[in-house]
Amino acid sequence: MTAGHGTLGRARGDAGSGRHVRPEPVPRPGRKPVANQRWFTPWLLVAPAAIWLAVFNVWPSINTVVLAFTNAKPIGGGHFTGPANFRRALNDDQLADALLNSVVFMLVCLPLLTFLPLLLAVLVEKRLPGITFFRTAFYTPVIASAVVVAVIWGWLLNEQGMINGIARQLKIIQEPLPFLTDRWLLLFSAISLTVWKGLGYYMIIYLSALGNVRRELHEAAAVDGAGPVRRFFAITVPGVRNTMLLISVLISVSALRTFTELYVLSKGTGGPGGRDMSVVMLIQMYSRGFTGHLGYASALSILLFVLTIGPMLLLLRLNRKEA
Amino acid sequence: MRRYWAVLALAALAIAGCGLSSETPRQESAPAASGPAKGKVTLQTWALKPKFTDYVQGVIDAFEKQNPGVEVEWLDQPGDGYSEKVLSQAAGGTLPDVVNLPPDFALPLARQGLLLDVEKADPKLADEYVTGGIDAYRFAGLTGVFGYPWYLNTDVNYWNSELLAKYGLDPGKPPADLDELIEQARILKDKSGGKVYLMSRKPGLGDFADVGAKILADDGKSFVFNTPEAAALLDKYRAAYKEGLLPKDVLTDAYAGNAKLFAEGRVAWTTGGANYIDSLKTDNPTLAPKVVPSAAMGTPPLYVQGVSVSAKSRSPQAAIALARFLTNAENQAAFAHLTSIFPSTKASAGDPFFSKSDGTNAGDAKVIAFTSLAKAKMLQPVQFNDAMRKVMEQQIALAVAGETSAKEALDTAVTKLNELLNQ
Repeated sequence: MTAGHGTLGRARGDAGSGRHVRPEPVPRPGRKPVANQRWFTPWLLVAPAAIWLAVFNVWPSINTVVLAFTNAKPIGGGHFTGPANFRRALNDDQLADALLNSVVFMLVCLPLLTFLPLLLAVLVEKRLPGITFFRTAFYTPVIASAVVVAVIWGWLLNEQGMINGIARQLKIIQEPLPFLTDRWLLLFSAISLTVWKGLGYYMIIYLSALGNVRRELHEAAAVDGAGPVRRFFAITVPGVRNTMLLISVLISVSALRTFTELYVLSKGTGGPGGRDMSVVMLIQMYSRGFTGHLGYASALSILLFVLTIGPMLLLLRLNRKEA
Repeated sequence: MRRYWAVLALAALAIAGCGLSSETPRQESAPAASGPAKGKVTLQTWALKPKFTDYVQGVIDAFEKQNPGVEVEWLDQPGDGYSEKVLSQAAGGTLPDVVNLPPDFALPLARQGLLLDVEKADPKLADEYVTGGIDAYRFAGLTGVFGYPWYLNTDVNYWNSELLAKYGLDPGKPPADLDELIEQARILKDKSGGKVYLMSRKPGLGDFADVGAKILADDGKSFVFNTPEAAALLDKYRAAYKEGLLPKDVLTDAYAGNAKLFAEGRVAWTTGGANYIDSLKTDNPTLAPKVVPSAAMGTPPLYVQGVSVSAKSRSPQAAIALARFLTNAENQAAFAHLTSIFPSTKASAGDPFFSKSDGTNAGDAKVIAFTSLAKAKMLQPVQFNDAMRKVMEQQIALAVAGETSAKEALDTAVTKLNELLNQ
């Protein structure tokens, strides 16, 4: 009875979980089975990656935390200064501007780069003649170098650039618009560039996710009289919800860490008054050169780290709640 | 529990090994320059290959011939990222024995005791090199001279004669001061319909010094250029910007932006070193012959390049001998004959090569620069670093754009620069 109950129980468990019973591994001729390897074999296998991570990731991270509490310079070291760098950050008006820029950057990029690529993906998902051309065209900005693209946008947007030139020819404006010298215009120019460059990348991610949305649902909804817009919101969006969440996290983190677009468009100056600097630009400014302020730059890095963790945790929490 | 102890141990290791050490300035004792030089020494130059390979190799060969016991290894670093390269060498303890360092690069290294006091090692220094060159390597708070001055340069004004003549200005009578410059900029703007500018750069520390503002306090511990004179100068630029006499993008233009616009023919005035026309021949060969040089307005800036000797050199005698040989009057003069730079040696002052033009505009620029050197001064303190430059440009841009008053911008700049200076 006991034996029979046990047998039945195992059989039921396997069937319920949908798992297959794995066949016993057959060792290849001349090779020891894994169970017979020496104890350190797995450690040897992970050692290269572990050493790499320890040297180039874990150690610099620990060192950044340590440096944040010092007044270290690139040469000659420094002294322990306690939370002085963090106190300085609280009173740094340039950091306040940079944080505001980063948050605006994130808040504008997040909806645009979450929904526009999805719309594009829905458009190019259709199997129409020549659609490959559009898929390639939308993806092209992604493979272009960020610096090169920003330089080209700089040419387009400067005082004598094409955008101002056309607007003046068409008598839309009398004086050139200060795209690269006005605080908000410069910030939104950088955001536009980021959105334009990121569309193709997120479109590809959505394209793969759309493949998992069952076609029968669309067909059934169409039979029930649902139009394309209704189907988009009722079937497509819920179908790619997890991907959307992942993309939101990626966008939030990269928007908060923005650097290249603002740096190149402002020619490294951060705009008049430095009011278009991002947090990463501030870190770069303080950490460079013979007299770089590594302690303060490290403190800013930690603040940025905390800032990027925030939206990630929030989105994960939202996801868990909805699930 | 084991994990807990492992994390604690790691944190302790991190704190112990984070490389913090004393910031107290150290002074290395210099060896006497007497006795035969021996050993292997490394010489590091900055972007001299391939244009000056033959010259530098010739100097090295002559030095090795004169000092049979010394072997020289020559390293030439690319122009971009040189400060980062030197920084990594200094931090890693691999600074070459003899290294080309401008004064602002030499200062932080000297403060850490990484450079030899060459005055101590070479008592004849003051007899052979011009005072301005030597003084560039004397630093407040340190005793000694931390580099042999190598070559000097200054700024010259360059005018696009074709544009000036086309829009009713006389290339033979360039503006002599800021007021005349603004006046001529107005004429150029009006007659060209705003297509061409005369002015295309923001003012900087040199301009403030030129109007009489003291830049740095005598003790070198604070910036003090927030004076009424500097504010008045900024106000003039703000009015000119508002009138459209400068391109809008000048607010975020980098240092070279002005020369770039000049090379493109969109601006009729720029400043540059004595060799600017030679480089313009590559960038815009049709414009180069039309350029007319004139002396810089106000006090010309003095730019100094020099070579320093590492305090950790294993062959200090040989390193000092090499630095001295590279910068002696004969070798500097030979170098100056290849490009428009000027020797820092007193013996070169009477060389007619520098005081007589060959009749070309590049030759005229060389003579103007050479003449200007007599009154040239280092207008920018060596303490002024990249972060300070950025903060300064940001505040000046705010004032020129009219988004803040000149006084407020200068006060903010001074406060922020002093924070950076004293940390």
